[in-house]
Amino acid sequence: MTELKEPPYRTVLKPYGQALVELAGRREAVVCLTGDLTRQCEIDLFAGAFPERFIHVGMAEANMMGIAGALARDGFIPFVHTFGVFATRRPLDQIINAIAFPGLKVRIMGFMPGVSSPGGPSHQAIDDVALMRALPGMTVLDVADAVEARQVPAAIVDVDGPVYVRLKRGEIPVMFGDDHRLRLDRADVLARGDDGDDVALLASGMMLAPALAAATLLRSHGVSVSVVNVPVIKPLDAATVLDVARAARVVVTAENHTIVGGLGSAVAEALAEAGLGRPLRRIGLPDTFAEGALTAAYLFGKYGLSTQAIADAAWTALGRRGGAPAAGIVPAEADEYSPV
Amino acid sequence: MSATGHVCDPGTYWTVPDPARLATAIRLRAVRMVAPLGFGYLGQALSSAEQVAALFTVLRPGRDRLVCSPGHYVIAIFAAAAELGILDEEAVRGYGQDGSPVEAIGTERSPVADYVCGSLGQGLSAAAGFALSDRLRKHDRRTFAMVSDGELEEGQVWEAAMLAAHHRLSRLTVLLDANNSQVDGPVDTITTIEPIAAKWAAFGWDAVDLDGHDVDAVIRALTGAGDGDKPSVLINRTSTTHGLHCLPPDANGHFIKLPPELAARAEAELLARLAGRDD
Repeated sequence: MTELKEPPYRTVLKPYGQALVELAGRREAVVCLTGDLTRQCEIDLFAGAFPERFIHVGMAEANMMGIAGALARDGFIPFVHTFGVFATRRPLDQIINAIAFPGLKVRIMGFMPGVSSPGGPSHQAIDDVALMRALPGMTVLDVADAVEARQVPAAIVDVDGPVYVRLKRGEIPVMFGDDHRLRLDRADVLARGDDGDDVALLASGMMLAPALAAATLLRSHGVSVSVVNVPVIKPLDAATVLDVARAARVVVTAENHTIVGGLGSAVAEALAEAGLGRPLRRIGLPDTFAEGALTAAYLFGKYGLSTQAIADAAWTALGRRGGAPAAGIVPAEADEYSPV
Repeated sequence: MSATGHVCDPGTYWTVPDPARLATAIRLRAVRMVAPLGFGYLGQALSSAEQVAALFTVLRPGRDRLVCSPGHYVIAIFAAAAELGILDEEAVRGYGQDGSPVEAIGTERSPVADYVCGSLGQGLSAAAGFALSDRLRKHDRRTFAMVSDGELEEGQVWEAAMLAAHHRLSRLTVLLDANNSQVDGPVDTITTIEPIAAKWAAFGWDAVDLDGHDVDAVIRALTGAGDGDKPSVLINRTSTTHGLHCLPPDANGHFIKLPPELAARAEAELLARLAGRDD
């Protein structure tokens, strides 16, 4: 199985941005578009390396998607950058008509997912996965760490159709070993009980870290847990989802997103379509907008996007008596990352 | 006013005896709001201090409406409201903190302004909607909308501008903060938005260019607007570092870093100015 680090995780800066530059060095068709969030989307590196292929569109997302669609029609492969919230809500109609319907190879990179932004409801992409997942032909990714982020450009560049990727902004934790491979066709089973599981825990993006911590906590209290990293939410690797769900008594999903329309919904659809009945608990924003704050950690805690919330959900779904064991917080230095 | 009231609520009242002093007080309060966070939207308060002071001077409490399109600017509105006694000091102390209803990027739920947008480029549409509503209801009300120059890159601003002029919404007045600042740097290095006044004029607006740090000029322009048969836009030429000499010249106007030592110097500079020891 894939090598996994232990929290606190070391963090790195701009793994995606560096990888995009490397890809562009090999592939002349790659062009880079920005909507006024250049450094925040790690593409100051691209602007420095390939200024002639760097297009600053200004704060004009609808226009940006229209331009990207036309560039793709002419054989370029546009990587479009802004915060996830502005990449999906503002230009939704333009993405649909100029990119998704014609099935063009535009790669939409949405930074600062879910409540990782303390900037309030206008800046929090809590519905971007749902919006993009609803579009025919759209591939949707929510990657977990720097090792995966580094592989994103090469992994998606040749996908035959549009792609939407959520990426954490800022310090990116390193959770996997260097040999971990981001695959678009398979979810990663990271842990598996010996003879059947009590809980199958499926997580994507920033919720993989608390899912792993919750699994450790539950295991230390006699609960067997399988953990699956689901970086590709569409098309979902339903075979792996069904495989771990079949072996478990209950299924828990965890996503930094509203529980409506994202990973939890995708898993529910897969289970129902297979006729596989398992109690399902969806960890995510419980059908609510969040708010502005000083720290993202406060919001992750408040809205139950935490190790404790995942453990509680599994514990109660299993019908265990008493409260779930208490999650400890792993302290992290300034250049480290620990989940709430 | 608690942390929930708005300027157009009946019964709201304030007076502004000295607009220039209010502008300095806005800067001081903005420094004190940002200091505990260590960084924040201080540049927006510095560029808009005179515009907000002028707005609170001209706007009729309990009657006229205030729309803040770029939600990052609510810091200046909160500062003015606290200074004028219409927003609780406690609410201001919570600015941007975990669990506080007074969020750093304004929202639908922010106090004081009647409507705040956190997602840029959307406020002028709301202001046009309010002005249409007042016309339909035959209310004697003006609607003032704060808009930033970076927002002119969003197409929706121009959709709203075209509609407002078509409907001759003369009771709608826009204060455009032309501070030449957006996230990636100076607006004019990213998109050419000039000639701003000529664009608005071509869209059917009364447009005037002025020094946005001349509070008397802004007050005069605001007072004179609203009586013709067109909507009005004041293009206020400003700087995100104006009125705070201690800031480093390379301060990022969108998001200024304010470590404790710099915050202390900023506070001392503004207190001295309020005391009349420096201007």
